[in-house]
Amino acid sequence: MTKSEVLRVENLKKYFPVKKGLATLISSRKMEYVRAVDDVSFSVPGGKNLGFVGESGCGKTTMGRAILRLVEPTSGKIYCEGTDVTSLNKKQLKSQRRKMQMIFQDPHGSLNPRRTVSEILRQTVRIHELASSKAEEDSMIKDTLEEVGLAPAEEFGKRYPILLSGGQRQRVGVARVLILRPKLVVADEPISMLDVSVRIGVLELLLRMRDEFGISLVYITHDLATARYICDRIAIMYLGKVVEIGPTEVIYSKPIHPYTRALISAVPVPDPTVKMEEIPIKGYVPVSVTDAFSSCRFYPRCLYAEEKCGKEEPSLVEVEPDHYVACFRAKERSLRA
Amino acid sequence: MALLEVRNLKIYYFTREGVVKAVDGISFSVSEDETLGLIGESGCGKTTAVFSILRFVVPPGRIVGGEIIFEGRDIIPLSDEEMRLLRGEGIAMVFQGAQNALNPVMTVGKQISEVILEHESITKEEAWERAKSQLELVGIGSERVNSYPHEFSGGMKQRVMVAIATACNPRLLIMDEPVTGLDVIVQRQLLALTNSLREKMRLPIIFITHDLSVIAETCDNVAVMYAGKIVEKGDTVSLYKDPLHPYSKGLIGSYPSVRGEKKELKSIPGAPPRLINPPVGCRFYPRCPYAMDICEIEEPELKNVGDNRLVACHLIK
Ligand SMILES: Nc1ncnc2c1ncn2[C@@H]1O[C@H](COP(=O)(O)OP(=O)(O)O)[C@@H](O)[C@H]1O
Ligand SMILES: Nc1ncnc2c1ncn2[C@@H]1O[C@H](COP(=O)(O)OP(=O)(O)O)[C@@H](O)[C@H]1O
Ligand code: SF4
Ligand SMILES: [Mg+2]
Ligand SMILES: [Mg+2]
Repeated sequence: MTKSEVLRVENLKKYFPVKKGLATLISSRKMEYVRAVDDVSFSVPGGKNLGFVGESGCGKTTMGRAILRLVEPTSGKIYCEGTDVTSLNKKQLKSQRRKMQMIFQDPHGSLNPRRTVSEILRQTVRIHELASSKAEEDSMIKDTLEEVGLAPAEEFGKRYPILLSGGQRQRVGVARVLILRPKLVVADEPISMLDVSVRIGVLELLLRMRDEFGISLVYITHDLATARYICDRIAIMYLGKVVEIGPTEVIYSKPIHPYTRALISAVPVPDPTVKMEEIPIKGYVPVSVTDAFSSCRFYPRCLYAEEKCGKEEPSLVEVEPDHYVACFRAKERSLRA
Repeated sequence: MALLEVRNLKIYYFTREGVVKAVDGISFSVSEDETLGLIGESGCGKTTAVFSILRFVVPPGRIVGGEIIFEGRDIIPLSDEEMRLLRGEGIAMVFQGAQNALNPVMTVGKQISEVILEHESITKEEAWERAKSQLELVGIGSERVNSYPHEFSGGMKQRVMVAIATACNPRLLIMDEPVTGLDVIVQRQLLALTNSLREKMRLPIIFITHDLSVIAETCDNVAVMYAGKIVEKGDTVSLYKDPLHPYSKGLIGSYPSVRGEKKELKSIPGAPPRLINPPVGCRFYPRCPYAMDICEIEEPELKNVGDNRLVACHLIK
């Protein structure tokens, strides 16, 4: 692992056992699993943001939670600044959490409604023993509220979450993370529940976390358009696996994997003079995947499939510097692109 | 003459906390070959506005003023029976989150044909055939007529809802956030369906969404709502190219795109107001970068500035 890497994930898997009726449990010996995250590897350099984009059910949330061990990975390794997170015991994990934090989709659900904003932050400061005096606590809280745009801090600190707008609540969510000065933050759809007109403000705040505080973000979203603004690199996920990963502008301007192409061509464009194109894809996303793949997982929907695609699973291959694609036809497709 | 004309419509919710002025004097019209987009952030009154058209607003909500003129007559005073007939045949609606409202224990064919039988005196067999052709129309295929809702994905359920809504050949279709929450690929397929319906059935549509880009792909004209008011209206191409109201400007300027140059996004400060005691002057005043003294005191009227563009802003003379 190179020094500049904040996060390295190797062969991460998370399988959930499928709940079945008692009768089937007794009769069939073999347990079935949903392969929510199915062998994902990547790394995040310090001060860079990596986006995970894909349709619902492709495993983004599970992966984000597994990185922080909010769900236990089935297998695989996770390193944060060289520390093997997967091997930490409970106590060690708790102190590691200071470095690795999460911002949730629903700021409403993740803030205690009975505490004021400054009490919420104070709790974080105390749990992680960040300050040695009440005065120090107070000044940390004040500074952080100002940093996330909740000024005047005295006034916002006294409010209860219910009296804040969605955007302000998410800023409190960011404050609670920022006050710890973590190295890595996993943000799972942090703006998708917000009003359209306040999203960009929160997006700018997330960007400042990278630019001013050097925090790396793993940004999880189904929204390709906002991911473009916040991510240095993008990973496209399909059915638990990364099918393409590379620098953001490269992915958007010359996507290679047939799924990435379909996804990008489907995103509506806020320009009424642009005509809708046909999307190069067929069929539907399967509800969930329990069997191991013996083909490319995109094969049933792919318009470019050849014989081999139905027989083997392709793995990620570097098609140009820092741009990886899991498709047997990636090389020829990149030549044509 | 317009197919639908809404004049100075006001709908308030009389809650314990106070009066929510959810829709506060909006006017718009839809003509026979038009897809009108109604765009605005959540809570700005879109659903309330279209619910009132079909009398779905229930207490504590009440229409407190205005007229809703459909095919030349005011439909607010209609009897409940007349309104029941108008729903489906005259004006049909695809509800927000409707894909979850299908009856889980009834085949989709039955659900479609029941709606037809409620409105038309035809035989069950005829209704069943119509149900099949509706399924063809929405791209599901008549062979699925005996399927149950759980056999369908979210996007396909939404297609079934469209099949039900259009089963009685309505003369106006209202779609409330029909693609919100769907994945992009499914969303695109549904937008293409919307556009084809409009061509095949020559069906005028009111299309509600909070997503600017979805409007851009479907609507001829667009009305921008903010805090219970329409602040700007015009044809989609010129409004997107040259928005005049500061809120429309802000919204368009803050909208990311995956295509073309990565433009710089500008955020709009603040957040939409609550609709109990909204700002007295212009409702956008507290967030507006161009606000003047008059904006705080006096509410701007929606004025026609030519080329079918209407704007409610003191900057526009
Ligand atoms: N706790 C769980 N138990 C069983 N299955 C789960 C659980 N959490 C997620 N899954 C399944 O794992 C897959 C991936 O889900 P998720 O990570 O939520 O995807 P995304 O965030 O991309 O929508 C889905 O098929 C989902 O149903
Ligand atoms: N049943 C209700 N009781 C009280 N207030 C309501 C009710 N329904 C909606 N509102 C309020 O009316 C306003 C407009 O809501 P709605 O029409 O649902 O907006 P939109 O569809 O644009 O999201 C919101 O402020 C909302 O809180
Ligand atoms: S490997 Fe084959 S099936 Fe898979 S995406 Fe590439 S061309 Fe399509
Ligand atoms: Mg998720
Ligand atoms: Mg609504």
